[in-house]
Amino acid sequence: MAEKSLKEAEKIREIVGQDLLGGRIGLLLGWEKGHYWWQSRPLFAKNEADLEKLTWDSFCVINLSRYLLEELKEHGKVGVLVKGCDARAFNRLLQDNMVARDRVVLYGLPCPGMLDYGRLNEEAGGALISISESNGSVTLKTGTGEKSVERDQVLMKKCAECVYPDPVVYDQLLLSPQGKKEGVERFKSVEDLEELTPDERFAYWEGELSRCLRCYACRQVCPFCSCRECFVEQDNPRWQGRAYQPGENFMFHLVRAYHGTGRCIDCGECERACPVDIPLQELNRKLIKDINQLYGDYEAGVDAEADPPLLTYRPDDPAAFSEK
Amino acid sequence: MARTGVFVCHCGTNIAGTVDIDQSVEASRGFPGVVHAGEYRYLCSEMGQDLIKNAIEEHNLDRVVVGTCSPRMHENTFRKAAAEAGLNPYMLEVANIREHCSWVHREMDEATPKAIALLRAAAAKVALNDPLDIPELDVEKRALIIGGGIAGIQAALDIAEAGYVVDIVEREPSIGGRMAQLEKTFPTLDCSACILTPKMVEAAQHPNVNLITYSEIDEVKGFVGQFDVKIRQKARSVDSVKCTGCGICWEKCPSKAPSEFEMGMAKRKAIYVPFPQAVPNVPVIDRDNCLYFKKGRCQICAKECPPEAIDFEQQDVVIERRYGAIIVATGFDQLDPSIYGEYGYGQHPDILTGLEFERLFNASGPTGGKVVRLSDGKPPRNVVFIQCIGSRDKARGMNYCSKICCMFTAKQAILLKEKVPDARSYVFYIDVRTAGKGYEEFQRRAAEEYDVAYLRGQVGKIFPEEDHLVVHGVDSLSGKIVEIKADMVVLAAASIARCDAPEVGRKVGINSDSYHFFNEAHPKLRPVETHTAGVFIAGACQAPKDIPDTVAQASAAAVKAIGLLSKEKLQGEACTAEVIQDECSGCLNCIAVCPYTAITEVEIEERHHGGTLKRTVAQVNPSLCQGCGSCTATCRSGSINLKGFTNEQILAEVDAICL
Repeated sequence: MAEKSLKEAEKIREIVGQDLLGGRIGLLLGWEKGHYWWQSRPLFAKNEADLEKLTWDSFCVINLSRYLLEELKEHGKVGVLVKGCDARAFNRLLQDNMVARDRVVLYGLPCPGMLDYGRLNEEAGGALISISESNGSVTLKTGTGEKSVERDQVLMKKCAECVYPDPVVYDQLLLSPQGKKEGVERFKSVEDLEELTPDERFAYWEGELSRCLRCYACRQVCPFCSCRECFVEQDNPRWQGRAYQPGENFMFHLVRAYHGTGRCIDCGECERACPVDIPLQELNRKLIKDINQLYGDYEAGVDAEADPPLLTYRPDDPAAFSEK
Repeated sequence: MARTGVFVCHCGTNIAGTVDIDQSVEASRGFPGVVHAGEYRYLCSEMGQDLIKNAIEEHNLDRVVVGTCSPRMHENTFRKAAAEAGLNPYMLEVANIREHCSWVHREMDEATPKAIALLRAAAAKVALNDPLDIPELDVEKRALIIGGGIAGIQAALDIAEAGYVVDIVEREPSIGGRMAQLEKTFPTLDCSACILTPKMVEAAQHPNVNLITYSEIDEVKGFVGQFDVKIRQKARSVDSVKCTGCGICWEKCPSKAPSEFEMGMAKRKAIYVPFPQAVPNVPVIDRDNCLYFKKGRCQICAKECPPEAIDFEQQDVVIERRYGAIIVATGFDQLDPSIYGEYGYGQHPDILTGLEFERLFNASGPTGGKVVRLSDGKPPRNVVFIQCIGSRDKARGMNYCSKICCMFTAKQAILLKEKVPDARSYVFYIDVRTAGKGYEEFQRRAAEEYDVAYLRGQVGKIFPEEDHLVVHGVDSLSGKIVEIKADMVVLAAASIARCDAPEVGRKVGINSDSYHFFNEAHPKLRPVETHTAGVFIAGACQAPKDIPDTVAQASAAAVKAIGLLSKEKLQGEACTAEVIQDECSGCLNCIAVCPYTAITEVEIEERHHGGTLKRTVAQVNPSLCQGCGSCTATCRSGSINLKGFTNEQILAEVDAICL
């Protein structure tokens, strides 16, 4: 564990501790270490003992904002640690009327990007025991020795492609900002897919989606999936069958992607949570790209006050069907 | 279990020509829930309707499918028939096997299976139909007319005479519109003001007419019978109640600006009435040109005004009012001919448009009624009129004929001869179009008695030379190049839609054609209705037209509005949206997309772990909902159903066709 992140964790604990123990918030959503050293899982801190477990390291990838949906039913006021993506997720929930702004305290954590255990392992060449970080590089310890790699090389994919590492909304900023990242080519893979013929593209997605187990992890972590009853589970009418087979899998993923049109904040949690590595962000980003092309640049979640393009009408909106 | 009856119509040979009726009836007998199937040559006939009614009684049917023409044609006919036999009218479904099937196929072996599939889908849907109630809606007994030209004035007077209150909203400081700018009217040559101003005064004095001038429409919400309109009354800077219209203010005002009414050919003051017979005769201060508003000093008008009516502090006022019907009569603009460089419009003071030339005849016009050249004040000898400037021009202008130019040109040529007896007129034309009562005779009179030379052909170039203009044209009948030394040139610029017509259309909720003229609901049978119930159109905002046509259309629109206002209640929409509040997550996206503001948020209580939890959900007001379905399409969790088109019903139809 890097010295720096330990210090930062200490600072976070001190500030949020005042609010939690002082009664300003009834619950703090943060991270604690999981079963393995390379996992940090959500922490639901209610007291001083819980707070001792609070962690801030390079594995705090899980988006915490979504936990508000349930926790706000139990607690009057909840504090949340928000990275860039957690903050945009919060705006998503706010725009969907799922959370009350005055019942949430947001502690902003500008985020250096989280590390990908899979990539670390690959770089280490196996038997990774631990890592340490300093100045943008990561030292990998294995049974046979040490190896140093650039931090950028071992970032989570979603973090490498993240444009907004700083929280876009917060009540208190706990660390110093990272700055907006320029020159991120997040639509590259979408453009590659657009080059394919419809048949090739269908074959590609058929291959990818055939692996889907319909575990719905993508939906469960998603900040735009806040329906009380998802269409997949509705009985009357039964929109789609339960079986996991290509046709049904297509139906589920395409409808889910459409439901995120103009709403997906591009946090990449769906793809991260997917146990069979379906490139779900490509679906979402295709729609983000289309929306930007049709209605002008719009970044869902960045500004809760900005009008979502599919919920507003402007006289100069493109009307492909009525134009001659 | 449903007891459905299926009835298949031959529609003469319209359907039976390509759909095997017997086979369709036979197949229908096998659909789930169908207990009776029959056919008839013309189901919409009285005999056909009786057949359905009798079958409902005889077979104890509780729902009906008719395989006929489009529901746009006869859905109501069959719903009424079903209702007469004791069914709720919404327990009937139409399978469109004519427009959707027999008319678009040639082969019977293709059309028949498709007709059967459509019937099967309708039977599957009707099995899920529920009886629906038709709500009754109130009618606000007040009409709104947008535009105070001759169309708006005529419509207002007709409605007022029928006993209903009517408001005219006019953008300019006075009503009167384009007709007020005209000197004489064809084909009788009566003075335009002499026949218009009595109507303007009548409108002003009529107890049922309210003039809301210098005002524009901000917003229109609601629907037929209950339009909620916001009208922005622009700050006049003059108290209309105190003002006596004495005119001292505009006499004393030191600031001048080009007069819109005089097409910019004369100046008016910064405080002004647009023309002497203005109604109301209350001036407005043009704040962009007023010294006080620009530089903070002057106020001469306020000092001189005997009743102290000047109010520099006046603000825009938004009037919110409910109307039962709306007539749009916003008129037309004249095309700016400067897009045609060869005619030199805008580069020489003696090249005018028809409307500009018209003002030269008027006693209160820029020349005091003397027809003279604006360049040197001399009366013109040779005047060249050019027709179809921007009309009938696929390449650079409008495809359509502006309809009035042939006639107003003949009129102006006659008037010119009367004012300047030694003047000679030349008219370049493509065709002379004079359809209308007394029109052909009028134009012939111009040509024969007033010595107007009609040259069939076009003008290629106009350029100044010494003290005159040289007009280069072609006389296509003789095949000769013509060169005329003209003192003045008058361009019959096309009549075009108002530049802000699309915006007005959007606000009111009506659509327009590719030239931005408002669309009528049917070009022959519903000429003053629009596709929005309760909104009617009149005059040149629909297409170029002359005064007689405009007035006729205005009265027609008025009759439609009167018919609407005379009803005690209107039948509302039975197919309205309904929120399934248990499933609604309360994202309220439906509120954002509802065009009728029919959805509101409401807080409900739910049990949660032994306690109660409050949460927000959506709620539809069925009397406002028009059943458009925007909300149902927006709702991701399918928590809004449109009655008569529920998700279950639609899916049942899809399944019946696809599975």
